[in-house]
Amino acid sequence: MTATLNTPTTTTDRTNRLKSTRQGGRMVADYWEDLFTARERGKQIVWYNGGALNPIFQAAGLAWCHGEAFAARLAAQGLEGPAQLAGAEHGYNAELCSYSRTHLGCAVLTVQGDEGINTGVVGAHDQAELAARLPAPDFFVNNYAGCSTGQQWDEISYRVFDKEVPIFNISHPFLWGNKPDAGYLTGEEWESASYYVRDQLLALITWLEERTGNPFDWDMLRESMTYIKRAAELRREGLELCKAKPAPATFWDWISAIAPINFLPGNQELVDYFESVRDEIQDRVDKGISGVENEKYRVYFDGIMNWNKLGFLSRKFAEHGVAVLAGRYITNAFWQEPQLIDTDDPLLGMAQHYLLCPTNHGTKTLDYLTLRDCEEYDVDGIVFHSTRTCRAFTGPQRLLARSAQNNLGIPSIFFEGDVADASFYKEEILESRLAAMLEGIDVKRTQAS
Amino acid sequence: MSRGAAALEALRAVARDPRSHIEAWRSAHPEGKVLGVLPMNFPRELAHAAGVMAVIVPDDQQPVTEGRAFLPEFYCGYTRNLADQAATGRFDQYDGLFVADHCIQLLGSADVVRALEPDRRVFLGQLISSLSDSWAGQKTAQMMSLLRTEVESFAGTTIDDDALRASIASFNRDRDLMRQIFDARAGGDVSYSPVDLQDIVASAQIMDPDEHHALLSDVVAERQFLPRDERIRVHLSGHLCHAPRRELLEVIEEVGAVIVDDDLWTGRRYLQAGMDESLAPMDALAKWYAGRNTALPCPTRVQHDVDWDAWLLDAVKRSDAEAVVHLMPKFCEPHMLFYPELRRALDEAGVPQLLIETEHEGIPLESFRTRLEALIERTHRNRPAYA
Ligand code: SF4
Ligand code: SF4
Repeated sequence: MTATLNTPTTTTDRTNRLKSTRQGGRMVADYWEDLFTARERGKQIVWYNGGALNPIFQAAGLAWCHGEAFAARLAAQGLEGPAQLAGAEHGYNAELCSYSRTHLGCAVLTVQGDEGINTGVVGAHDQAELAARLPAPDFFVNNYAGCSTGQQWDEISYRVFDKEVPIFNISHPFLWGNKPDAGYLTGEEWESASYYVRDQLLALITWLEERTGNPFDWDMLRESMTYIKRAAELRREGLELCKAKPAPATFWDWISAIAPINFLPGNQELVDYFESVRDEIQDRVDKGISGVENEKYRVYFDGIMNWNKLGFLSRKFAEHGVAVLAGRYITNAFWQEPQLIDTDDPLLGMAQHYLLCPTNHGTKTLDYLTLRDCEEYDVDGIVFHSTRTCRAFTGPQRLLARSAQNNLGIPSIFFEGDVADASFYKEEILESRLAAMLEGIDVKRTQAS
Repeated sequence: MSRGAAALEALRAVARDPRSHIEAWRSAHPEGKVLGVLPMNFPRELAHAAGVMAVIVPDDQQPVTEGRAFLPEFYCGYTRNLADQAATGRFDQYDGLFVADHCIQLLGSADVVRALEPDRRVFLGQLISSLSDSWAGQKTAQMMSLLRTEVESFAGTTIDDDALRASIASFNRDRDLMRQIFDARAGGDVSYSPVDLQDIVASAQIMDPDEHHALLSDVVAERQFLPRDERIRVHLSGHLCHAPRRELLEVIEEVGAVIVDDDLWTGRRYLQAGMDESLAPMDALAKWYAGRNTALPCPTRVQHDVDWDAWLLDAVKRSDAEAVVHLMPKFCEPHMLFYPELRRALDEAGVPQLLIETEHEGIPLESFRTRLEALIERTHRNRPAYA
């Protein structure tokens, strides 16, 4: 029996993206506009990386800029070039994490902008567009779990600003799983790491109080975490609904909904947003509407996002009838275990989420999560985004692919790309490998029938 | 062959063929255990005191073959080589692997070892990398004590404080002797070639410290001070976890430079900090860890008031180096992140510099030669006209 693959000949968009996520786009755009004018409104500004500390900053009366989010936004809008050029001129190698390279480029531009220096690389317009719009920081806070680059990156930002901006570091033990009792959300290692990070959050709050002169608003923290917890529950409900066949929404829809859960203020608007997303998905389940026209294959996506190619990738997979419906970056990140949050005393649950960054687990735990999700979402294959400059995400991928094949008989492919540098994306590789994997799945189905 | 020359040969043999040395140790200690440890900060003293042979796993310079199936090609050469060692059974010579560090690429390679060698203990006891925090001292002490417990469990014995004191003294003595040689080089003695020095340090990372010290003492006893000539004085910087290829060191000297100091892993970085023998041994371990980063700053650590760039400028002054060659292993993220700080500091100080990215396989020696020649020429122009 010969397997057939309907190689698409047209570029018709076969995606059926959620309408409700558009509102998130508007909320995020407003947030950035607000941030760009924060200084004028007398706000102090914190630059941070890693886990979502925004509820703490909100309660400390600060405006916040998440470095990765800013780099991702630039890449998604195709605006990363000037910052990356400035970074390259400053000496950052093109193989360096492109999030950090982009953000450090912004830092360089911001410093140069402050000094009134024109680099000759980036025109005044670009500077106005990028660095000058991003207000210079009053503080740095590093909250990066897992990836050493994440911690080192802020230290370098601190140095780019000639050590004049105070910095606070939170350390996160890597959840390696040394002990037999170690597992996902369980074991002594997990418990002790949780309290260690919780204690550091308390130290951060004191540090912020001392430096801002603002008393920390604990009620506001409880309130915003109450909203965030509710939003995260709704998000989880929506993710659960995507196990339906056909999948009512896809990984790409959830990617569009990352920014709101990652750094928008905890408030009723956030809850309303995720309620509308969940409701739209429920409505689609009820009506049998799918996120991809004629879903034929179900696929899990592993890797950090390729922000330059977001729309393109969603169309590409849909062209082949592939519903990419879950992935490590979505399913196992961003307040993904809301039951851990005690809204009366939220710090421990927050600390635990920072530890649950999907780059902070040893492969044993990632393997557990990946196999669990592949089974629950009943996927036919895994697509690994071999993210060129993100060693944290890519390190375990080959072991995960091997395990999925050995334990579940699930095939996988790797395609090359990057978080925020389009030059690493290899279109032909994705196309040919995807075609080959789908063909293999067809063969398997035929043999089984 | 003189006694000193034979001793150097013996050190060189261990540096270049660690496997045979480990096998010989195993034959002599049939009940003994061999623990592989990864750079940069695991205190081998703990394992030594437990009667375990602790080897800092070297890049064995074999091309990466089956290891490609386990780590992506954009991991640094050292970590890909480790994955390859595990994938091809070359890791079998170790009974376990302990890691105390932070670099995500190191952790990635350790995870490959754990997956491929399920019967071996692969333990991560991560020492705090953010060293400015007020709790860093306490966290370091806690982790050292956990490492001690784990080493005891691995060795199947308890570590006696006196034995630990003795191990600290042994490693200190060996490091001190190596440091004297490096200091002498920085002070003008060029009696050791850079390849000799690399072999000396690389063998120390594998051998028992007393055995190493005895051989090195024989080498030192026969050496005479050899003053520098007129070649351009170069400081070598980088290669945080493994040795650069010997050919590269040779070509640097062939083009008319003399290496007068370094901060390489198989150089000063390994031996710069000693342990304080007047302290209780566990306190000495913790203080050593904190002190390593001030003795020679490392870009995998975060310590706001400690600067690799400032250290480098001081080192350049101390050794009277005229130029710096950065050896950056391709894809080494900590080095890529810190490099602009080094570049900026050296530029401001008017020190000529050259960045060489090294690959694990294949060194384009001729292109390096051309670039090094250009550096030497540039540096010559900095010399006063009467020199
Ligand atoms: S390498 Fe990946 S995980 Fe690490 S800082 Fe960059 S984007 Fe984050
Ligand atoms: S510090 Fe550099 S050389 Fe060492 S393991 Fe990490 S990436 Fe490789």
